[in-house]
Amino acid sequence: MKTKILTGNEALAFGALRAGAKVLTGYPGTPSTGALTTLMTMPVVKDRHIEWSTNEKVAFEIAAGASWADQRALCAMKMSGLNVAYDSVISIAYSGCNGGLVIYVADDPGASAGMAEQDSRGFALMSDLPMLEPSSVAETYQLIQVAFDLSEQIGSPIFFRLVTAIANSHAMVEIEEPLPPLKREPILEKDTTKYTKAGSAISMTQHRDLIARLEKAEYIIREWGLNRLQLAQEPGGLGIIASGVAASYLEEGFEIAPQYGVKSEDLSVLRVATPNPLPSDEVRDLFQHCEALLILEELEPHIERGVYLEAHKWGYEGKIIGKLDGTFSRVGEYDVSHVVKGMGVALDIDIPEGCFQGRSEAEALAAQRPITLCAGCPHRGTFMAINQAIRKSRFNKDEVMVTGDIGCTILGMNPPFDTVWNEVAMGASIGLAQGYVHGGVETPVIATIGDSTFFHAGIPSLINAVQHQVPLTLIIMDNGWTSMTGMQANPGTSKEFQPPGNRRVDIAKIIPALNVDQFYIVDPFDLEDTTATILKCMHLPGVKVVLARQECAIQAQRRDVMPGLVHVIPENCNLCQLCIIHTGCPAIDVGEETIIINPILCYGCGLCADVCHREAIVKE
Amino acid sequence: MNYDIYLVGVGGQGVLTMSNILAEAALRKAIPVNVFPIKGMAQRGGFVKAQVRLGREVTGPNIPEKGADLVVGMELSESLKAIRFIKPGKDFVLLGHLWLPTAVMLGKAPYPELDQVQEEVKAAGAHLLYLDPEEIPLHKGAPVPANIFVMGAVLGHTKLGQIFDPHEVSNIIRQRWKTGAKRNATAFQAGLEVSG
Repeated sequence: MKTKILTGNEALAFGALRAGAKVLTGYPGTPSTGALTTLMTMPVVKDRHIEWSTNEKVAFEIAAGASWADQRALCAMKMSGLNVAYDSVISIAYSGCNGGLVIYVADDPGASAGMAEQDSRGFALMSDLPMLEPSSVAETYQLIQVAFDLSEQIGSPIFFRLVTAIANSHAMVEIEEPLPPLKREPILEKDTTKYTKAGSAISMTQHRDLIARLEKAEYIIREWGLNRLQLAQEPGGLGIIASGVAASYLEEGFEIAPQYGVKSEDLSVLRVATPNPLPSDEVRDLFQHCEALLILEELEPHIERGVYLEAHKWGYEGKIIGKLDGTFSRVGEYDVSHVVKGMGVALDIDIPEGCFQGRSEAEALAAQRPITLCAGCPHRGTFMAINQAIRKSRFNKDEVMVTGDIGCTILGMNPPFDTVWNEVAMGASIGLAQGYVHGGVETPVIATIGDSTFFHAGIPSLINAVQHQVPLTLIIMDNGWTSMTGMQANPGTSKEFQPPGNRRVDIAKIIPALNVDQFYIVDPFDLEDTTATILKCMHLPGVKVVLARQECAIQAQRRDVMPGLVHVIPENCNLCQLCIIHTGCPAIDVGEETIIINPILCYGCGLCADVCHREAIVKE
Repeated sequence: MNYDIYLVGVGGQGVLTMSNILAEAALRKAIPVNVFPIKGMAQRGGFVKAQVRLGREVTGPNIPEKGADLVVGMELSESLKAIRFIKPGKDFVLLGHLWLPTAVMLGKAPYPELDQVQEEVKAAGAHLLYLDPEEIPLHKGAPVPANIFVMGAVLGHTKLGQIFDPHEVSNIIRQRWKTGAKRNATAFQAGLEVSG
């Protein structure tokens, strides 16, 4: 046993190893990425398989197959990934599993990673799968091991949920040495009543079994004491139900509460580690003991709704304070102010408004800081080329739809490019583009997508466009890495950087096989050719694909690879700032008499030189 | 003793490194710690913050408004986003570094003035320690890392110096980066000795 500083993601990964997991899969996505990244940097262990899969559905199916062969398996994803995997998740929920199967999903209250602020606990409710959720980094290490045990005890996949504030927090964790994968002979079990859904009899039996497994889970969870109930000595006080990260603010709240006359010994507390199934026995104990209940949970009022149902069932008439009475918002993260404010409302104590209200006026003075592309990013060349191609066409910029996709390529929505119009989900740019065409848009429609996103969910949509002969231009911005999540290898990553034993799948070979009408490969650092190619595609019929190919500059720079050297010729520069206006490159600053290129940041792509009219910037 | 620190800046300034150094210092003194970094989506130049909470066995990752015992702002404009988190009467360390967004550079968007930010900090009731970027010393002709300089200043001029021995923190920095040890030592020392 040793104490280390770990993130929640790392604690989860180490816990899964301690539990003897053999197959660990996932797709990168903030805030869940760190779990598998940690495992990938560890020494390779024989018999253990760790991979970034093509998408979350594939990742989950691999983990499920391993579980059916009786091995312990983990599958990691962000909340959006669970939406992708869910088709298989619900089917396997009905079938059940053999080896412990844990689906790790990371939600993002506060939306710091900029996607939907969805509450994935809803998926657990819908699929009748148990979900475990720790309230701290240290608890994560223990509870993930419990998740594997519970999964095997009831023969069902288990959800394990973290939020950003735990997944990415660093804290002290007591950990033990990781264990090798459990030594188990793989089983091959042939049982169509379990492993297929052929016929209503099979499906309805599975549905009954699914419900029974959740009931069994509730029983075991109670036996194991996962949800901790502390009743105040005297009845009649306030009961607090706090779930996940919200429970981590209780101690701090209890430090403040005495100022307002609340004694912590009068409080009963239920710390919920299983948002599904709801610990209904413990809730009933609170009904019998408390005159009012305060429910602390971020995002949706899932537990609160469950408590209302139980209250109706058992005739509880005390106050229930949470979101449904309007006390708290369903948006954003919690902190200690929610604990204190909630106690105030429940106990009719006046908590002064300004108690947790800082000086917010200051923030309005802060400069807008839209996120932009890194210096040297090849996507910069593609966005500049799209803009130039539109300018050179007979259309205005507001007549040419450019659909966007997930990942670094979405940064084209921000200044100075303002190229991309929308962002929906992995692969959605290609389907949206087709919809605009069918919707009657007769001006050119362009779809943009990154390489990893194309592999993830873009290919079926491109096939659809070809089959239905939808005139559009697809620009695949291939920088060779899954970049925004921190440079994971994907199927298209260059052969030399593929994990050992992997084979590269080249997009340049996939596209011709799909029988598109036109296919071009361009270098986005060659602004003239990229612009000319896109312009040509805008006026050609059929499905056109442009593969804009140049490695992510961050990755290339780590190996000291640079495409050239760029410098300023001061006497030619008149500070017109066209270079900044067109590129928005963070390596360019405005100096006293000339622009200045920061040599540490500059990658040498030369796009600034391409837009300079005075030969004040030169690329060698 | 509980002590909450709110650090803000932009990506590339070493805000997350500062929070990691503090985590290491806490680990060595066996003080419970939770460090919650948010780095947004950009590799460089985007808003970054880190919340470091010291002392509580069990602690939530987020510091409430008016809850921080120390705010460290590494960039002038971004520091404004931390003002609502400072507890009145506590230390607000402000490095007057400017990292101009493109629109500001092109003169298309406003950027706050130093005295505006200083007034806001004072209006929040905080005790301001302003660090002039000009005071960041040179080592062999190049400026030393600003984050290490600010770490020195924070340990030399705020209550954090009573929780962590500045000497111990300087050791952590030296052990972490074998190369550039002298440069970092110069940075840290200059921060410690900066006139508050």
